[in-house]
Amino acid sequence: MMFVAQPFRAARAAPVAQPFRAAAASGRPKGLRYKAPGRPKGLRYNAPGRPKGLRYKAPGGPKGLRYKCLFGLAMVGLASSAPANDTLTAIRGIRVGHYTLVERPTGCTVILVDRGAVAGIAQRGAAPGTRETDRLHPTNAADRVDAIVLSGGSAFGLDAANGAARWLDERRAGVATNGARVPIVPAAVLIDLWVGGKPLVRPAADCGYRAAANATVRPVAEGSVGAGAGATVGKLLGRDRAMKGGIGSASVTLANGLQVAAIVAVNALGDIVDPHSGAVVAGARGDDGSFADARRLLRSGATTVLSSLPAENTTIAVVATNARLTQAQATGLAQMADAGYARAIVPVHTIADGDTVFALATGSWRGTADVTTIGALAADAVAAAIVRAVRQATTAGGVLAVRDLPQ
Amino acid sequence: MATAALAAQSPARASSGLTAVEGIKVGHHTLTERPTGCTVILVDGDAVGGVSQRGGAPGTRETDLLNPLNMVDKVNAVVLSGGSAFGLEAATGTVRWLEEHNIGWPAGPSKVPIVPAAILFDLGVGGNPKVRPTADCGYKAAEAATAGPVQEGTVGAGAGATVGKLGGANKSMKSGLGTASISLPNGLVVAAIVAVNAVGDVIDPANGHVVAGVRNPDGTLADARKILRAGGTMQRPRAGENTTIGLVATNARLTKALATRMALMADDGYARAISPSHTNGDGDTIFSLATGRWDGNADITTIGALAAEAMADAVVRAATQATSVAGIPAARDLKR
Repeated sequence: MMFVAQPFRAARAAPVAQPFRAAAASGRPKGLRYKAPGRPKGLRYNAPGRPKGLRYKAPGGPKGLRYKCLFGLAMVGLASSAPANDTLTAIRGIRVGHYTLVERPTGCTVILVDRGAVAGIAQRGAAPGTRETDRLHPTNAADRVDAIVLSGGSAFGLDAANGAARWLDERRAGVATNGARVPIVPAAVLIDLWVGGKPLVRPAADCGYRAAANATVRPVAEGSVGAGAGATVGKLLGRDRAMKGGIGSASVTLANGLQVAAIVAVNALGDIVDPHSGAVVAGARGDDGSFADARRLLRSGATTVLSSLPAENTTIAVVATNARLTQAQATGLAQMADAGYARAIVPVHTIADGDTVFALATGSWRGTADVTTIGALAADAVAAAIVRAVRQATTAGGVLAVRDLPQ
Repeated sequence: MATAALAAQSPARASSGLTAVEGIKVGHHTLTERPTGCTVILVDGDAVGGVSQRGGAPGTRETDLLNPLNMVDKVNAVVLSGGSAFGLEAATGTVRWLEEHNIGWPAGPSKVPIVPAAILFDLGVGGNPKVRPTADCGYKAAEAATAGPVQEGTVGAGAGATVGKLGGANKSMKSGLGTASISLPNGLVVAAIVAVNAVGDVIDPANGHVVAGVRNPDGTLADARKILRAGGTMQRPRAGENTTIGLVATNARLTKALATRMALMADDGYARAISPSHTNGDGDTIFSLATGRWDGNADITTIGALAAEAMADAVVRAATQATSVAGIPAARDLKR
């Protein structure tokens, strides 16, 4: 079901759904649009007494179903039975919203966490753009984070997190401090200013606000949307030989209830490789248009001084689990998840990539699983999401997507 | 061998392993009482060093010195050893050997040998756990170091190394020590050496196949990735049984910060060739050395990417070159 539904959604979600959502967001009161009719205001997400709000997102619950049906019919026109969700939003309490700019292929993606989650980070690329990452260090304040923002627009795109924080502030979400609640919103950006010809067009606070307002528990739209709208891959031979990246998501659910999922905006210098076969899925193209294979290029000595600049790359991700973890364990989870980058991107963690992985642990599952299991599954989910990101991408800004390659 | 097909199609020369980097010598000493030992990488003169430490259960020495913020940026030798934390003593013997040869960081009246080290956990393999590499092992391995081809398999730090422990030690396989190098036509050389003692399976990244790993009751490979995804019964990896330790070297000239980046990128070779990697029960660590004897121009992305490739090759070789020991089968003896 998912593999049929996703291309359809990826193709349709941005042009059809976004204007509607944007209108809903600007014509407040916000949030009313996606609430079930007749729902008391006290049940709103992140209002005091938030636990109640969870009811309408409970998988399989009657209200959850009604909510999904309304959305399916109004937004995408899907049949009334919601498809099985194998994306990040499979994890209860996590919602994802994209906002894609129309002036240039760029945008942002907001991952909202009901009641917050314990978080960690692995930051291993050499050219990062981030915010609130020091806070995630295991020795620093062990707060729960309320949202994570992934954005295009290079360092300018960090502004998107301000909009998400404002949206959360309006719903009184955040860490309780003396007199106010402060939303904790880590963020990371990818560098896409060269795509689409208008480098002054960047995701701003408005983008983060609208993406937060768009956030739903439905399966995540993939491809050239949100933070992946301007993403590209395969730049070892320069921009002209690059291919379109995007955003992808994947999840793993074990029989015992443990869930691990990932969302990745893939904007790598390197090629995308399917770890199951070792084959290139998308990457730098040679003179004849076929894949040059970064591994072969590097081993041949053809590219000992690379043409790609630090301002052209960076892959950013969030992995999440329903397990209960400490902040140190969440850091370990992010580190292990990062192995998914190594398996599906070649080369990766370069001087020109700001590769960053956030990890979230919601703790809604009470079972027992060690970090090795969770981290190994997270690495798998990250690798799968990376492959999906390029397979679901659509050609944008003149950069060719895999699906548009001549067969 | 990982990506052998790719290597064969490129003009790069196949070569001997870590000692393809001029100025690098490698020596092993393997104990006879139990399969364990140590491996010393000696630098002729010195080299800029770095480290990437990402597993959850490390055993190391002098790694803080390698922090790019800290002063000393030259390394005289690196020791990889079995014997768990006890094996750190091997570095003491290498220090002694270096001092006898008047090699070290100038410090007032004396020269202080700079010898980072990392250990792997092999006490449960092959009998008496009281048998561990000591200072004597590190001294003898330094004495044995040569610039010739590096012996691989069940030797030195890899003598007691095993892989595929998701199903417990009795379903594991023998691994060992492997090395690989890549030499480009312009003279850049990047090479790796590794003692593979992972929780996870060894995977050939060129085709995704398991080379060595956790076995089914009938002796065939089970594939850790499938076990994990199925939520199948598995034992939690225990600290004290694992850890993959390695080193990458290049003849390029790097700053200490770039050498650190090289080690970090080389770590991607672990992720590609070991699954799962960097677990809570692995103390995975990679050192890097840059001798600076080559004056050509290559950026760190190229060097780091080649280091990851060489490291993945070396991990696969560690599994394919190992021999069965103490009832633990190696890949070459696996029932097909």
